[in-house]
Amino acid sequence: MSKIEIFDPAMCCATGICGPGIDQELLRVATTVNTLTKKGVTIIRYGLSSEPQAFVDNKKVNEYLMKEEVEVLPITIVDGEVVKTRSYPTADEFAQWSGVSKDEIAAAAAEKENGCGCDEGGCC
Amino acid sequence: MYKLFNPDNIKLTKYLFFTGKGGVGKTSSACATAITLADQGKKVLLVSTDPASNLQDVFGISLTSKGTPIQEVPNLVVANLNPEEAAKAYKESVIAPYKGKLPASVLQNMEEQLSGSCTVEIAAFNEFSNFITDEKTQIEYDHILFDTAPTGHTLRMLQLPSAWSNFISESTHGASCLGQLSGLESKKEVYKNAVSTLADGKLTTLILISRPEYSPLQEAERASRELKELGVHNQLLVVNGVLELDIENDQIADKLYAKQQEALRNIPESLRETPTYKIPLRAYNITGIKNIRMLLKEDYLESQNYKLNKEELPKVKALIEDLYASKKRVIFTMGKGGVGKTTLAAAIAIGLAEKGVKVHLTTTDPADHLKFVVEEGHGIRLSKIDEKDELRNYTETVLAKARETMAEEDIAYVEEDLRSPCTQEIAVFRAFAEIVDNADDEIVVIDTAPTGHTLLLLDATQSYHKEIQKSQGDIPQAVKNLLPRLRDEKETEVVIVTLPEATPVYEAMRLQEDLKRAGINNKWWVINSSLLMTNTQSPLLKTKSLNEIPWINKVDEISQGNFAIIPWKGEEIKGEKLVDLIR
Repeated sequence: MSKIEIFDPAMCCATGICGPGIDQELLRVATTVNTLTKKGVTIIRYGLSSEPQAFVDNKKVNEYLMKEEVEVLPITIVDGEVVKTRSYPTADEFAQWSGVSKDEIAAAAAEKENGCGCDEGGCC
Repeated sequence: MYKLFNPDNIKLTKYLFFTGKGGVGKTSSACATAITLADQGKKVLLVSTDPASNLQDVFGISLTSKGTPIQEVPNLVVANLNPEEAAKAYKESVIAPYKGKLPASVLQNMEEQLSGSCTVEIAAFNEFSNFITDEKTQIEYDHILFDTAPTGHTLRMLQLPSAWSNFISESTHGASCLGQLSGLESKKEVYKNAVSTLADGKLTTLILISRPEYSPLQEAERASRELKELGVHNQLLVVNGVLELDIENDQIADKLYAKQQEALRNIPESLRETPTYKIPLRAYNITGIKNIRMLLKEDYLESQNYKLNKEELPKVKALIEDLYASKKRVIFTMGKGGVGKTTLAAAIAIGLAEKGVKVHLTTTDPADHLKFVVEEGHGIRLSKIDEKDELRNYTETVLAKARETMAEEDIAYVEEDLRSPCTQEIAVFRAFAEIVDNADDEIVVIDTAPTGHTLLLLDATQSYHKEIQKSQGDIPQAVKNLLPRLRDEKETEVVIVTLPEATPVYEAMRLQEDLKRAGINNKWWVINSSLLMTNTQSPLLKTKSLNEIPWINKVDEISQGNFAIIPWKGEEIKGEKLVDLIR
């Protein structure tokens, strides 16, 4: 199975909820990443503000940054090769690179385990 | 009725936290306690966690976060934690290793994200818990005193560790709000220790400071209750500024005495169980080491031959006329807690409403006492921004949006991110923006929360403003409109409210500087509760009132004559009395 790495720009949190508005795109990516991880796909996100070292250590990412500045983020790498820059993978791309079908991703997202995951009285 | 607060006769714990509504004398009491303990030969460390620290004014020297020994008081070391500076140092330490290794635009992007309120709070709490848990400090000092920030801020800081350590231990995704603060996880033990020290009655006492007045006592009760909920049970109440009559048949002194005694008789039920002490009202200003040292001991009458610059002192009426004539749409009353921002905001609202203007009067003060002061109707609409409510509303909005595209299980994930402290700031901010946005069909008068809090709010506005130009998120129009609107001096006026005393005036000056830096306009100043404007014959009050003159002159100078003065009033200013104020 392929290894997917996503190098995020600096942001408050992975869902973007901490930002000034709600960003549907970030919500979608966070959800998909979460689902794929559960399916056993190796998918890692690096945040610029939390793990800047990763942006130095990864030579390809560092080259892109040096050449095209911060706007080049997010960068997606599959098995060590840069496959996408400047925006997040689409649902099709996620499916293609992870080997998990689009339907499966959607189905997994709809599936409910152990209720809703809330611990404080009742459901969300 | 109460014993004097004198640390010579009270056995105090190692850690002492002073809390109370702004302006009640936390700083003075903390300093006086620190000096008294140091004079006993104890080794004492006094730490200020107030973002708008008063300690520098009191000791007359500049302080650092590491601690400065006070020459005149052997055994006393004073440290001043400036959360903003701590955050800056933190930011620098994160970014510095990458200079040259990553392009400038990337570093800038990192820096912007590290400018959030999370960083400020974390950095502040970090320093604060270092003082509590550092072994060397523990051994070195007999007493460690914290002159804390206004109550709301204090509570938030205290709430951080438990809330955040839950967050950290539950977090499975890593890349959350707290993720940006790398190294936080390793501090978990330190924070945990800090919290358990706070809740340990053998080690820690919470000293609630209040004035013998209705609102501050209510506030003390609130703080007491909230801190008990956080496990801090060892509490003392100190009522500061209790008048002892020194003359018969003086209307002002009698009124003040009666007002204070009534407030004390009606002290909130749950505070009655708390051991209570008093500090008498003093004629002198509580600045300089000499006076601080005297505060818990005795009074003396001292005044110089001060002269007023202006013969006739302007009234609030002049301010309202100017606000009306210049067609201001958004009016803030700003100043330290307890200076009377609420009263003034209410008076301005009534004054403008009388002229036939529709007014929306709103408060962001967590203590919300607007509804005690003014009644709705006659062209005035009342509202408040409640942090907790706003957070809940915002959370629900986000979740509703998330549910459109996400499964329940993933919503739990979003919920986790919603637990971050950033979210609270944003929630409040959005409510604030919406109210200001409505200033099109009504004039908005906002009675803001105490200084530190207010500045954080404004600061959030500013960094927000930078951020939203880049972000693609779904941003309400109201939020986009906010800062340009606040900066437009044709529309917006910030009225700075202060008292004719040293610390409140210094505070207000700093506030004005911060407003300037944020590009926000201030023309008017209001001096509240002036004894000089009364005709008291009490030697104590008269001396106190003459000590107001240099501060009135100072405000005259700073405001270039655009100021109004409100006499000290014997009654709680509400309803009809507010109308008197604007005549």
